[in-house]
Amino acid sequence: MARADPPPPPPAAFERRVLRSAAEHHYLRVRLELPDGGARPSAAQFKQLVVTALRELHGEVGAALPVDVLTYEEKTLSAILRVTSSGLVKLWSALTLLGFYQNRRCAFRVLQTSPFLLALSGNSRELVLD
Amino acid sequence: MVRFKNRYVLCEVVSEDPRCRQCIEDRAVGLAVREAIARAHGDYGLACCSVSFTVKYLNAYTGTVLLRCRKDFYRLLCSALPFVRQLESRNQRYPCFFNTLHVGGTIRTCQKFLIQYNRRQLLTLLQNCTNEEERRSIRQSVLSCSLTEEQSQSGDEEDDDDTETD
Repeated sequence: MARADPPPPPPAAFERRVLRSAAEHHYLRVRLELPDGGARPSAAQFKQLVVTALRELHGEVGAALPVDVLTYEEKTLSAILRVTSSGLVKLWSALTLLGFYQNRRCAFRVLQTSPFLLALSGNSRELVLD
Repeated sequence: MVRFKNRYVLCEVVSEDPRCRQCIEDRAVGLAVREAIARAHGDYGLACCSVSFTVKYLNAYTGTVLLRCRKDFYRLLCSALPFVRQLESRNQRYPCFFNTLHVGGTIRTCQKFLIQYNRRQLLTLLQNCTNEEERRSIRQSVLSCSLTEEQSQSGDEEDDDDTETD
């Protein structure tokens, strides 16, 4: 009596990935601080602001860096940026040294940075512990 | 004691306009290069390159320029040089571009390269010349350059002299 074919193995519940080389991208969670009562930038203006900061500090080379705004919340002025790993230092320094938005004082706070996007889903510094 | 290490970038100014030659002077070249660095690499790049940036040598007749900058940042300088598009002096602008010939660690190696390069240029000129008059004058200058070098550099570059005079 022929034996029935063994059933296909169940799909793995999780998959383990090991990254040996350096990560391709880095992700930053940033918050823009503006004085109260001013115009808030839209998503496009926010990207423009980031590129302006890069162009000011690192010139056309810096402005050509591949930087993406993954999420942007206009209400809280917080965003998640993605940048190639070689440009992380350039982007971070440019954001730090940006001082003005439309002739008004502003500042970028870099809250979290990680080579994995998932790591930005939670922030242990904001945990409320009993 | 350690010394500060520099890189010397030897380049030539190429321009269609023959009046551009009078424009080649220390300040104009330095300003144009700085402007190009600032445009290409921003405040950071300009500050890095400015640390010991000078125009060390300049020959307006042949359009040769020798720039100095710190060794750590010479890549910034070299990558910005192609973006120099014009020279400006005395309210006149002439379009031109910089052609990088050699990057050396000392002025001496740059000078050696420049002498060799100019001699090679003379030979190519000799091949390309059309009439007998030009041929004779170039031959004359080839002879004269090897003769003057033997006299003026006998103390400086003795090891090279015997190969260059024959």
